[in-house]
This record gives sequence, structure tokens and C-alpha cells, in this order.
Amino acid sequence: MNRLIRGEFAKLLGTRLPMWTLVIAACSGGGLTGLLALIGPENATPPLPGLDTAEGVGIVVGMSGLLLFAPALIGTIAVTSEYRHRTIGTTFLTAPRRGRVLAAKLVVFGVLGVAYGVVASLFAGGAVALGAAVQGVEIGVPPLVLVMLLVRLSLAAAVYMILGVAIGALARHQLLAVGIVVGYFYFLEHVLMIIPGVNAIHPYLPEGATAALTDFTFLSDAIAEQLPLASAAPTSPMIGALVLLAYAAAAACIAVAVPLRRDLR
Amino acid sequence: MSGTGVEVAGLAKRFAGVDAVRDATFNAHPGRVTGFLGPNGAGKSTTLRMLLGLTRPDAGTALIGGVPYRDLDDPSGTVGAVLDIAGAHPAMTARGHLRAYCALGGHAAANAERVAEPTGISAYLDRRVGSFSTGMRQRLSLATALLGDPAVLVLDEPSNGLDPAGIVWLRTFLREYAASGRTVLLSSHVLTELQYGVDDLVLIDRGRVTWEGSLAEFTAHGTSLEEAFLRFTSDAAPRTAPGASGAPIEGVRA
Repeated sequence: MNRLIRGEFAKLLGTRLPMWTLVIAACSGGGLTGLLALIGPENATPPLPGLDTAEGVGIVVGMSGLLLFAPALIGTIAVTSEYRHRTIGTTFLTAPRRGRVLAAKLVVFGVLGVAYGVVASLFAGGAVALGAAVQGVEIGVPPLVLVMLLVRLSLAAAVYMILGVAIGALARHQLLAVGIVVGYFYFLEHVLMIIPGVNAIHPYLPEGATAALTDFTFLSDAIAEQLPLASAAPTSPMIGALVLLAYAAAAACIAVAVPLRRDLR
Repeated sequence: MSGTGVEVAGLAKRFAGVDAVRDATFNAHPGRVTGFLGPNGAGKSTTLRMLLGLTRPDAGTALIGGVPYRDLDDPSGTVGAVLDIAGAHPAMTARGHLRAYCALGGHAAANAERVAEPTGISAYLDRRVGSFSTGMRQRLSLATALLGDPAVLVLDEPSNGLDPAGIVWLRTFLREYAASGRTVLLSSHVLTELQYGVDDLVLIDRGRVTWEGSLAEFTAHGTSLEEAFLRFTSDAAPRTAPGASGAPIEGVRA
């Protein structure tokens, strides 16, 4: 198993994907969060709580969570590239016990997901600190609370990367897999949020669970204000984390089990 | 004869209601180059993929040294394969690709440089695979197959993309490989490619093995290899061909 993990790491590090992953992480962590932190949430339209409040810090950091489809997309593209460039054939010839290969792949992409999350969090944390310094205000939460919020964001990034790997392993066709990821995280889950009745399950969908994990209820609150329907209350951060881990475990099992018997043609 | 051979018995595979391979039975022996010849769509690639565990057979067995590929203790140290469905990532350098598969197969990293020499890619190791010509990619595929110094080489249409000099080089290489007591099984639909390069011939037509034996015995069935080939792949062909020992091939109807 160790040699398979080493091999999968060598395959990953031989491409430019890790570099781009970290660049995207820096942009997603520093970009939206940095912009909002620098202009000051209270100067946004509509005005949001400032960085000197716990709520304001949560919203600014949580903005990075809106870009969590990026690690999912990276995981998906990485796996479907194996089919596109036919390296999956070389891999299964070298290591024909496919379950172990895919398990090794999940470990490797779990690590890449954590790396994504750590870089995104560092940039998001840096953006909050910079924003607060520029505006001359104290950050509205103690440092440990901010760090824990960022750790939770990192965990969510790793889970999303694994979800992306699973979707890629199932769909195999790159365009189809990318369509599924973008369509689901950018469109379907938001639609589900506003359908009366159905929106009750939203806290248990990946994005809803992530919102609970990162205390980011900005979107559901905004929707509740605009629409005459009861917003589904988010679950606790702990339950959000457990729901996300359950998704990751289910995705990992599917990603390992489904390709086992599939013919390579 | 000692060494690791290939035994295929009763392999069958249907895709979407169509028989791709029906009851394929043949052997490839150590110390010999076995050509797997058949027209386009005859079932050569499907048979080789079943042999290598990439496609699951509906029936039959395919063994390498008496063991199915997926159950081999050291798969890439036992069999090296060149298949069109096994590629290299275009963004990787040839060295990075070879080293990654050394790691995956549990072979020493230095093997990457060792296999580059005989396959003629030493000067290209630090170039990205995406910039390679088709012929260079084939050489890289062969280098990848050699990483574990395998006892068996399985190659599906390996001379695709090679220039005439490359084809001669490959033929010589495979001959020398077999001469060291190892097994070489290569498929082709090009008659002339196998004419000078193989010891034994397995003929497959419409998913069924129609002839197995030495090349010398095969050509004895016609004035030329081409004539013999047409005899055993045409509808009008007699299906009572002798096997290597002159016995009728099991499963081939008269």
C-alpha cells in the first residue's frame, strides 16, 4: 500500500496540478475574502457586520467556503485526466489490484485537499488580519477562534477534494464530470435551497453541512429575507463536520468499489 | 521448457450483444516470439486486455506462469505490456513518468534510466511527453513495460507510429529479448511485420483462434504468408487447420 501511495504521489508531483492547486487555493482564500476584508464588510451593499464583530469575521472567512467547488473540480479533473490521457491503463497494468490503487489515490488527494485548505485558510486569515489593520479595527474574535474557523475550512476543502475524486472516478468523461461538479455545487444545491419543503434537507447536503461547519449562514439568511419561506436552520458545526465526513466516506467507498469490475476499453 | 509462459484457454467476451472473442485458446512459450495475427476487429486487443486483467472475460482463463495477472505477486516485474490504452501524461517528463511507475510497481528508481538506453529515449528523458512523436511515445511505452525487467512481454500493435528503421529496431530487440529465455507475445494486423520477426503464430479471426503453430508450418499452407493468411481468415477457408503439433485446434469447427 505504501508503494502505491508513493507511486500516486510521484504521478501527481510529476504534473503541474499541485502548483495550480495551491495557486487556486491562494486566490480563493485571499481573493473574495481579501476583497471584502479590505473594502470593509460595513461598506458593502447591503452593509454587513464589520471585522470588529464575530459575525463579520465569520462572513468574510465563510466567503472562501463559496469557492469550495474548486477543490472538488481539481479532484475531478485529476481523476478524469487519467482516463483522458489513458494513464489509468498504465496504472492498472502496474498495479492490477484496483481497489488498493484507488484507495492510495484517495489518500493522496486527501492530502492535496488538506494542502489546498491550509493555503486557502492562511490567505483568508491573512486577508482578515490585513483588512482589520487597514481599517484600524481589532479582529472581532480571539485568535484561537479564528484559527479553528480556518481549520474547519481546511477540513471542508479536503472533503470536497475527495467528493471530486469520487465524481471523476464514476463519470470518467472529463466534460461530463466537470459539468456534474459545477452544475451541482453552483446550481442545483442553490435551487434546492429555495424549494419549499425540499430546503429542509439542505443542511444535510454538502454545502449546507459546510455552512454549518464554518458558521456561514449568510446565503440562507439572505434567501430567508427575500423569500416567504422558512429557512432550514443549519445544524451545529459538529454535525456539519460529521455529515461532510460521511459524504467523504461514502464517496471514497463508491470511488473504490465502482471501477473494480469495470472493463477498460 | 523452463520460464514463464502464457496460457489462454476458452476466453470469451461479448460487448453489447456482439461476440468480440469466442473460445480463444493458445499458448505463448518462453524463448519464442509469438505473433498474434488477425484482421482489424478480430478480437486481438480484447484478448490481450483479458490476459492482462483490464477486461473481465465472460468465460475462460488466461494465465501467466500459471497465475491470473491480477493475482501475480509482482505484476509489472513478471509482465511488461505495451497497449494503446496505456499511456503517459503529456505534462510529465519521460523521466518523471518512468520514475512514477517505478514507484508504483515497487522497482528501483534507477530502472528509469536503465530502460531508457535500450529503447533509445535516453536523450529525451527530460522532455515532456506531450512533445513526443507517436514513435517516441511507443518507445516510452516499451520502456515503461521494461521497468520491472519482466519475464513476459505483451505488445498490442507495437510498431504503430514507428518508421521503417524503428520497426527493424523493434524486431531485433524483441528477438534478443526472447533469445534470453523470455516470452514475447505481440499482436499485429500487418502480415509483413510478423513475417521476419516471429517464431510462432496464433491466428484469430472474428473472435476465434483459427490457427496456432510455428511460422514455418503456417507458410507451408500457401505459397506465401499472405496466401496462408487469407486461407485461414476467409469464409471459404477450411477450418481443419493443424496445430503446432499437427493436431486440429480444439474449438475450431471443420
